[in-house]
Amino acid sequence: MVERSCAYLHAVGALGPNADLDRSARVKLQSDPPARDLRELSKRTLGQTLRQASHFAMLAAVGARACLGRVNNLSPDTAIYLGTGLGEVRAIEALFKQVMPPGPGLAAPYDFINANNNMAGFYVARLAGLTTRNLTITEDAFSFEFALSLALADLAHDAIPAALVGGVDENSHPRASHLRRLPLRDDQIMGEGSAWLYLNREHRDALGKLWVETLAIPGASAAAWAQETAQFLSIHDIEDATLLPGYGLLPEEVAALLRSLPGLGYQPYLDYCGCYPTAAAFGIATIFDSAQVAGKLYLHINRSAGGSTMVIGLSTLAPATG
Amino acid sequence: MFRANDTASLPTVPINRIDPERYPPGHVGTHAAMLAVAHEALVRAGRDPAQPLHDCALIVGTSGFSYIAEAEFRRAAATGQTLSRLPIATPGVVIRQLAIALGIAGPVFCLSNACASSANALLVARDLILRRQVSCALVLGAENLSAIALSGFQSLLLLDTKGCRPFDATRRGLQLGEGMAALLLEPAGGDGGYSKQIRLCGGTNLCDPHHVTATNPNGDTMAHVMRAARAQAHGADIVAIKAHGAGSVDNDLAEANALRAVFGTRLPPITALKRCLGHTLAACGAVETVAFLACLDAGFIPATGGFEQVDPALAISPITQAQPAQTGVYLLNFFGFGGNFASLVIAHG
Repeated sequence: MVERSCAYLHAVGALGPNADLDRSARVKLQSDPPARDLRELSKRTLGQTLRQASHFAMLAAVGARACLGRVNNLSPDTAIYLGTGLGEVRAIEALFKQVMPPGPGLAAPYDFINANNNMAGFYVARLAGLTTRNLTITEDAFSFEFALSLALADLAHDAIPAALVGGVDENSHPRASHLRRLPLRDDQIMGEGSAWLYLNREHRDALGKLWVETLAIPGASAAAWAQETAQFLSIHDIEDATLLPGYGLLPEEVAALLRSLPGLGYQPYLDYCGCYPTAAAFGIATIFDSAQVAGKLYLHINRSAGGSTMVIGLSTLAPATG
Repeated sequence: MFRANDTASLPTVPINRIDPERYPPGHVGTHAAMLAVAHEALVRAGRDPAQPLHDCALIVGTSGFSYIAEAEFRRAAATGQTLSRLPIATPGVVIRQLAIALGIAGPVFCLSNACASSANALLVARDLILRRQVSCALVLGAENLSAIALSGFQSLLLLDTKGCRPFDATRRGLQLGEGMAALLLEPAGGDGGYSKQIRLCGGTNLCDPHHVTATNPNGDTMAHVMRAARAQAHGADIVAIKAHGAGSVDNDLAEANALRAVFGTRLPPITALKRCLGHTLAACGAVETVAFLACLDAGFIPATGGFEQVDPALAISPITQAQPAQTGVYLLNFFGFGGNFASLVIAHG
């Protein structure tokens, strides 16, 4: 049995689909949010508009700055783990229009550069002056969870002193076009966001303690899945736990889980960021939009189309305000 | 089938290609090619590809598989279908299908770090094994030719119409290629037939936030990466270096400066493979590692195709004739856009 890696959370930052960087600006979404121009926000938060960067890179950079702005004594050896399910969407769409018929056939240089998924990580590193490990991790439903897992393992094995872990995805319009990449139900609002966690091994002054676990429950019905998940969760102190349901969970799965564990609280954060593959980061980061009491357990649970379930656990350690 | 010279605005450049008859561009051909290289790696490691790999990770180095969408769009356009309705296979979907076909039940994800993607995948896979998170890991690099990549590099004036000439005084840029390669990593001391000869001793990946596409010409970060990787050879001499050798003016200058900074006057033999293989971008960490190891297995360090004339500004001379391979430790460099740099240290023999 492999020992579970965990690390301490020291700062969070989250940028939502309405260019909302803090609690006061967040609103409950009623429909797909429009495409936002982030240049003004970039100028305000980063001191520059990142003129040649893509929307995706701006999203990443502004969200990361929101987190790093709350970090005391940032280590220059902080490693970056950027999880993204869709990566650059708008830059690639632009390239397709330029290169594929009936387009002119030649790519615009910066659209081509921006179409590389790692450009967002580059801007985060450049703006923060970070020069060590910088990984862009892509998966289907669990890009952020895998990014977090790698960071936790690297921290646990002393490979790095600190980690900046983000979940970043952008939307694109119209919705029908976006759904070619990300199948959503009619009741799911397409979202976007950039949320970041700063982690290290230091218990002192930490906001919380994080871990990740994978559960293999393939092909189970909602009730059977909920039962198996509840069995796993029962080893934790779920009397004080709150469920953050990932975008991959079906409503009936959430309902079945809450029925299986009547003591489990419920915090549906997707109302504020919409659905996208790395929304888990937003869910975790925005826990701290409100003041926290120590000793509370949050469980972010998501399920992929392939049947895997991943759980992120966060125990709050110290009072903090957003 | 798209060909480089179908588009009048693109130059005709040398391109090394996957056989389009066996593996046609698009979803089916890409999946088949990835499966084929994965099966070959498993067979060479003495495993039965039909057996599921329960405790295995699959880590794929990729630029994002947009070439699959590109091929499907071309195919659809040729048959008059509505392009705006075509589903687009995201990297996560592509690799999940591959993992299912291989029976892989461990962690499955992609690393997208430009030309360092697959090299980073090898390093992450090594970590997963050393930390006993998995019992083995399959690393795959995959890159098909795309009009978008060709056009993009042309727009950056980074293509050399005469082919890649790594470190040569007359070099002008890249020569694109396409390729897929897979490596199965197992814990040292296992009974894998082929893998007993080769050991991934370590390596390093760092970020140089100098510029999105241009490397800092002084090569400081590249030197840092190489030093850190070399330290994991535990004092063993480096037998030879497989350079990144992109063939671009600035990247080769930075790499040459870094090589001289790290090794001084005791520079081991240097070779580069991109004239022979083309630049396989996100896949080059896997493709070039496999090709280089195959040459070592065959008993030689390959010559540097495309290199003829020493550039005084670089002051390095890659080997122009194949040399006998020796038992020992080799350094392999992979440097990409966005300042993602990786160096691997591999013991052979």
